[in-house]
Amino acid sequence: MAKRINLDMTTVENREMRLGTIIGWDGSAKELIRQSAYDERSIKKHGGCKGAGEGCKLCELQSPLNQETMCSNAIVQCQIGNLTDCVLITHAPIGCDGETPKFNLSMHVGLRRRGKPQQNTLNMSTNLQERDMVFGASEKLRKAILLAKERYNPKAIFIGMACATAIIGEDIDSVAEEMEPEVGVPIVPLHCEGFRSKHWSTGFDVAFHGVLRQIVDKHPKKKQKDLINIVALWGSDWFSAMLKPLGLRVNYLLDCASFEEIRQASEAVATTTFCETLGGYMGAALEDQFGVPQIDAPQPYGIKGTDAWLRAIAKVVGKEKEAEAFIESEHKRIAPKLEEFRKIFAGKQGMVLTGSAYAHGLISVLNELGIKNEGALVFHHDPVYDGAGQNQDTLKELIETYGDIPHYTVSKTRAFQLPQLIKRTKTDFLIIRHPGLASVAGHLGVPTFALGDEHIPVGYDGLLRMGEILIGVLARTKFNQTLKRHVHLPYNEWWFAQDDPFKLTNDKHVFDDIEKKLNKA
Amino acid sequence: MSDIQQPTQVNKRKWTAISDPRYACAVGATNTVVAIKGAVPIANCSPGCQLKTTAMLTFENGFQGSIKAGGGNMPSANATENDIVFGGIKTLDNLIKSAIKIYEGDLFVVLTGCTGELIGDNVPDLVSRYQKAGYPIVYANTAGFKGNNLFGHEEVVNAIIDQYVGDYDGPKKQGLVNLWFETPYYNQNWRGDYQELARILRGAGLEVNVLFGPENNGVKDWKRIPKAQFNLVVSPWVGVRNAEHLEKKYGQPFLHIPEIPIGEEATSKFIRQVVEFAGIKNDKAEKFIKQEAEIYYYYLEHFSEFFAEYWYGMPSEFAIVADASYTLAYSKFLADQIGLIPKRVIITDNTPDRFRPAITEYFKNNISEGVSIDVEFIEDGYQAEKRIDEVDFKAGKPLILGTSWELTLANKKEALFFEISTPSSETLIVNRSHIGYKGALTFLERIYNASVGGK
Repeated sequence: MAKRINLDMTTVENREMRLGTIIGWDGSAKELIRQSAYDERSIKKHGGCKGAGEGCKLCELQSPLNQETMCSNAIVQCQIGNLTDCVLITHAPIGCDGETPKFNLSMHVGLRRRGKPQQNTLNMSTNLQERDMVFGASEKLRKAILLAKERYNPKAIFIGMACATAIIGEDIDSVAEEMEPEVGVPIVPLHCEGFRSKHWSTGFDVAFHGVLRQIVDKHPKKKQKDLINIVALWGSDWFSAMLKPLGLRVNYLLDCASFEEIRQASEAVATTTFCETLGGYMGAALEDQFGVPQIDAPQPYGIKGTDAWLRAIAKVVGKEKEAEAFIESEHKRIAPKLEEFRKIFAGKQGMVLTGSAYAHGLISVLNELGIKNEGALVFHHDPVYDGAGQNQDTLKELIETYGDIPHYTVSKTRAFQLPQLIKRTKTDFLIIRHPGLASVAGHLGVPTFALGDEHIPVGYDGLLRMGEILIGVLARTKFNQTLKRHVHLPYNEWWFAQDDPFKLTNDKHVFDDIEKKLNKA
Repeated sequence: MSDIQQPTQVNKRKWTAISDPRYACAVGATNTVVAIKGAVPIANCSPGCQLKTTAMLTFENGFQGSIKAGGGNMPSANATENDIVFGGIKTLDNLIKSAIKIYEGDLFVVLTGCTGELIGDNVPDLVSRYQKAGYPIVYANTAGFKGNNLFGHEEVVNAIIDQYVGDYDGPKKQGLVNLWFETPYYNQNWRGDYQELARILRGAGLEVNVLFGPENNGVKDWKRIPKAQFNLVVSPWVGVRNAEHLEKKYGQPFLHIPEIPIGEEATSKFIRQVVEFAGIKNDKAEKFIKQEAEIYYYYLEHFSEFFAEYWYGMPSEFAIVADASYTLAYSKFLADQIGLIPKRVIITDNTPDRFRPAITEYFKNNISEGVSIDVEFIEDGYQAEKRIDEVDFKAGKPLILGTSWELTLANKKEALFFEISTPSSETLIVNRSHIGYKGALTFLERIYNASVGGK
């Protein structure tokens, strides 16, 4: 089988090149599935080419207006920066470490959820100045590496590239290679400068790429037949209870993990995830290059998805019987409560605004609860994932199970489009997982749920957890209505009067008045 | 301290790597723009820059939140590889057009970060096209490698003065004062503090031009700047550069008071100093002082019963690690008015060299009778935390005033712990001030609230 992931280079081919990722699109989910041509891309990923050709083009809407957003460098900080015994040095001016307090809080919360002792993140910035931009900054990086070793005695040191250091051509690969023998622990360069990819999720791949190349054990001496890798973030440990009936222990990667937990990833019996956007790269690479199978199944959301996911894992570990018994008893257990929720939510509509594969999972959960979705907003669309398994086409799985979504929008954190998105699709609440958007959406009179603990909707219990939470979210409509009555967003009346969220893209004459004024001056 | 006039020097201090950072970079001054009513920041930088700076300044800093064109609504160029290779001017041009098209904006401020400055985009040329066409727009160079968000704040202020407020040679208005005070969002109580200080100055008989926050009336207040009789800088150093610029540009004198007043004695002294500088009659001020003092001590007397009678222990020693303005103001109040003993005082905001001797002298000889301490200037969180860890607190429960980076350390030392500086992710601030007459009492309440009860 062809290698889907190339671990030879220190750099990662970004998502737009590797997967055809787009960040602007507007239409029905069905149409996006057609244009995405997952099956053709899947064949290509697995080394074939027959039939793969025309279909691999996906039109993308560009926007002249973009807004506050995230970058790959921040994602690396939220992954590698949240390891318990490794240091992340961000080779950059100090601003690139601006989000470290947030990831420090995430780490504290995550450690508590996983029952690990509290600690601060181990972070460092080379704190570059203007003269470093002129004369280079490799000497400061070398000093920072020695300082990191002295301060924290870490199991590994990672170096995160930033826009400024990438532009001035800092050679972090050479510095890492040269320093490694002296320091005595792996030094891992990560090419995560923000401008390199149009979507931050490339940062996940960069983080995984680094640990796959230099931390995960290439020649494991033993197999841990009861250990399963879950590519996750900081979510609560609900996977253990779901996988215990199959005799499995969970190895969460990467947030809050230790060096040892990452090293042993190649000893595990399989790899799976709560989100293909996040877990695809790690899963595919572990399968191709370390022989750890990636679970080829729908994501564990809703009844059908969770059933299929459990069965696929059971098959790998030979616990089909146990799985069937567990599935049957779980169905019975949640049925009465689920029925109650369906009554409570009858006639309600919801809208999900998150990363793409996770959105597909969440929308499944809403459907199971009897909540309709006329629209959805995803921050990016990956027409295929790195795994490219037959059962991993998450959008297709969603639409085939629960029906089409007429207003399916791909747009990366463009808050200014929210008035139009909410105008054209009725919704009683929004579920949002990205900073900056929920507060803006909250001005429009609709309550928002910032889904911080990403494992809440997972599995059978996820349906019940979401049901309980959404009752509280709907009650908060009162706050948002108050806000709507008295507080206005910064956009003008003309913009609020528009119906097309991509008006600035689609109307070629939209700036004529401004251009006329400029040309006159 | 207020007589420092020498020009800015290049800091010649030894470089240090930074762990556990306590400020954002210059492009974080987008938040200074957000603090001006009706102004729209246009962030000409990479993706990630603004989420990072707003995380440090508005969210993980008391979860203050943002408003209007701040936070998720902020226009940002989100530079791509294409912009880096071929230049980012076209992207910025589209961004400016879009912002003008759909935002309610009285003033647009383009802040260029690392990428735009390194690839050499000619932003002034582009912005001047819009200026010539009559659009209210200015630009500032705020690359992260040039300085922190406090440097960026001063850059943005000067940019607005030079490119938007413009020349003025008309008359000055006696009794009108421009208030240069805390850095919006960075100083976590800034909204409440601006309101309390403005209230105090009005009480003293002055007309106050409030340039940021809830009492700012938008850009028309900025147009009023040249008409003011003088500029008042209430900060150890931030804003002095702006006041010096205004002195040159409009011939406006400035009064620099490094210490934010907290408590009756400091605030009344502050009022008298400002009134004297303004040369206005002091009858209104004295009446205001009398009235405020009466209320202040009415409450303080009640508090004194707790202070005298409480059996179950309270702090007597403190360590503080914060920016220069809060470190100085809180230390002074606690040491001079309450009698808490400062054991370690650390300033983390990269105070420019020219201001350091005066601040050092202040803590050495001026903080309170019988109190003297060596202030330390440390930007690197690792070293700052280590210095606090090394403090041998002797009497009772220690009090640590700092940031969320000190949380685990404070727990280890079983200290009372308050976040007073960025980042603060264990604190929610809706409307609060710890300064002046009213804020001092809130500050007392907050500190001693943690001492009472069975916790």
